[in-house]
Amino acid sequence: MLRHLLKLTWKRKSRNLMLSLEILIAFAIVFALAAFGLRYLQLYRMPLGFDAADVWSVTVKPGDNGNKRFDEALYDGLRRELSALPEVKNVGFVTYEPYSMSTMTSDMRRGGPEGSAGGGAVHTEMIEGDDGAAGVLGLELADGRWFSKIDNGAAQRPVVLNRRMAEAMFPGERAVGQQFIEADDRETPQAYRVVGVVGEYRGKGELAAPDNFMFTRLEPGKNYRDARTILLKLRPGTTRDFEQRLNARLKLVKNDWSYQITPLSNMRASMLKTQTVPLIIVGVIAAFMLLMVAFGLFGALWQNTTQRIPEIGLRRALGASASQIYRQIVAEQFMLSSTAIVLGLALLVQLPLTGVFGENLNWPVFAGAALLSMAAIYLLSLLCAVYPGWRASRLSPTEALHYE
Amino acid sequence: MFRNYLLTAWKVFMRRKLFTAINLLCIVLTLVVLMVIASLLETAFRPSGVEGKSDRFLQVLMMRMEGPKGNRVSTTLPGYKLIEKYLKPMPGVERVAAVTLPASVSVYQGLNVSELMMRRADADYWKVLDFRLLAGRLPTSADDAAGRMIAVLNASSAQRLFAGTPKQAVGQRIDVGGQVFEVVGVVEDAMHLNAYADIWAPISTFPTSDYRNQLSGLFTALILAERAADLPRIQEQVARIAQGVVHDDPTEWNKIRFWADSKLDVFARILTQSTDTPDSGAGKLLAGIVVAMLLFMLLPALNLVNLNTGRIMERRSEIGVRKAFGATSSQLAVQLVVENVLLCLAGGLIALGATAGVLAWLESADLIPYLQVDLNLAVFGWGMLIATVFGLLSGVLPAWKMSRLDPVHALKGAV
Repeated sequence: MLRHLLKLTWKRKSRNLMLSLEILIAFAIVFALAAFGLRYLQLYRMPLGFDAADVWSVTVKPGDNGNKRFDEALYDGLRRELSALPEVKNVGFVTYEPYSMSTMTSDMRRGGPEGSAGGGAVHTEMIEGDDGAAGVLGLELADGRWFSKIDNGAAQRPVVLNRRMAEAMFPGERAVGQQFIEADDRETPQAYRVVGVVGEYRGKGELAAPDNFMFTRLEPGKNYRDARTILLKLRPGTTRDFEQRLNARLKLVKNDWSYQITPLSNMRASMLKTQTVPLIIVGVIAAFMLLMVAFGLFGALWQNTTQRIPEIGLRRALGASASQIYRQIVAEQFMLSSTAIVLGLALLVQLPLTGVFGENLNWPVFAGAALLSMAAIYLLSLLCAVYPGWRASRLSPTEALHYE
Repeated sequence: MFRNYLLTAWKVFMRRKLFTAINLLCIVLTLVVLMVIASLLETAFRPSGVEGKSDRFLQVLMMRMEGPKGNRVSTTLPGYKLIEKYLKPMPGVERVAAVTLPASVSVYQGLNVSELMMRRADADYWKVLDFRLLAGRLPTSADDAAGRMIAVLNASSAQRLFAGTPKQAVGQRIDVGGQVFEVVGVVEDAMHLNAYADIWAPISTFPTSDYRNQLSGLFTALILAERAADLPRIQEQVARIAQGVVHDDPTEWNKIRFWADSKLDVFARILTQSTDTPDSGAGKLLAGIVVAMLLFMLLPALNLVNLNTGRIMERRSEIGVRKAFGATSSQLAVQLVVENVLLCLAGGLIALGATAGVLAWLESADLIPYLQVDLNLAVFGWGMLIATVFGLLSGVLPAWKMSRLDPVHALKGAV
């Protein structure tokens, strides 16, 4: 039976080639969409590392475009002023709030000459945070501690790493207490000492891939860039109308500055929107394309069966039952789709094998996307075969033999 | 001859109505997607309405500063000082306007907090862009000089803040991030690169005047030429001006460059990150768009090829007769391609109507705020071009196959 089917398909190879090619491209599109969606789902379920509930961010915009550096007294003044508000539970300063679009990255390496053990540079994202930042963001330390007053006057700048960074920098060792330096060509590179490790921190939100991350302690005078974002943990139930009082209080500190106040929940919503809107647009377009493929396959199969009416009549005359004819049409279509899918999988499996998309297309995502897209394509092509097959099987042998 | 093609094509289309409908549906679906994209691009690159003076409009959006050793590069927006001191005095242009990019601000009304996008603009901004004024007036240079705390709202925001007609908003006071402004005018909503904002205020309403001393900052400069033919000259002029700009700290940054770009160039420069050459990468961007569109057509074209191949088989006796009477293969091939292109053009016309519907939905759905896409002659031209390319792409292969049919077999009806 199978050999017979293969022979029939092979006889019409140029025509079937075009059909398989079409199915192959449709398969690739569904695969891409499924992989994209599954990866997002996978990321969404990973721990975020911080708690954004009731946290507001205040971005300070000094009038002088940031030429004058912030000093300790200024930070203290802001801290004091804000803590006095009854709605505010905790105050912290960071360079960028979570869910912001900004990024600061650098390369780090362990001390010692270049090329020695651990001499390789590790790329990491980083922000500066003050002693209060961990409390505001609800960071949970897996090892060690967060920054505090005992770090005052430390020779190396204290840092807290996320676990990923700690493992990349110190594989198989305990990171806390270790030192490393910034990998650049300055004569005395900045030195850092690890005081703690957090489980995870994904500042770009739920749909961002986990990355190396490091917090450095905000120390006015030593930092490369000022922390100009204030994070406030508010009492639960504080409403948005607190913003005006907060703004007025901040204006008391510096009247010629402007302040952009946003609840993190708003930033989260807009971040999620910017990340998911492309997927939705691509999804809608892909849905239209699949609809089109469905119409095309349906039309092509219909024409196929119409052409093959004499052949079908002959089979019927020789004793094949209606259901056998029906099964033949559906099985041929199934085989065509399988050829296209196997070919498509052989091509697509190169993506995780060569690692062009890195971790974004890992094996679970690949397997899930392959299964989903296989199911979609089989369903589509079988649905398209059902009506033409039924129509062909209904023909009476006498009619079919006479058909011209 | 051509009339015969048309007649045959019509007869063939009508004989199998279901398949013609399926064919047409596939064509329309493809073309709608492509035409929506084309009209969005047309609106972005060559808008009409508020930013309708595209043919004599240039803008400086990015400034590149390099350190003495060339190892440090900073790309920022131009500051007010750069525009005021170097660009505004430029001879041979109609006017130069300074405006900030939109920034999010909070408007406080009692217990209500609304987030709006705010720009600060000088009086020239209102003359370079053609906003339609719905009520009140637009800021003038007298307002700039006096530093009056006035603001212009767009229609949606006026409606949101002060329910009622635009007139009722004029004269009201609003608290924007602690500064109190008086609303003097209400303009129409606009979604364009330089026109998009909810609220505008004069530049002189900044809490401090530090912006006056900044070479790099928050601004973009809009340059309006007197004639379209002046643009290349102005672009050269701006590049020359950039060479003469001296940074406040020349040991830190000794080389400054910026370019006056058209809309397309601005987008291309941002996307291709080419800040160090006069060439904005617009050619690359356009080529990329064309390739992406062709790639997008691949699947629908294959689909149509499959459908068309099936139809040829139905017509093989017709082809046999024509071949027996001496029609050459190329004549037959041309005929089929013409038929296919005709069907695609018909599909293109339907798709244009559907595109108008999709765009109307996009405008009302608020996915992109204040979106207003105009279906003009240019979009129609692009649409027909896309339809023709698509027709050729999907018609050539079946036509080639058809022309190869052997007349004897074709006449007998065997393949």
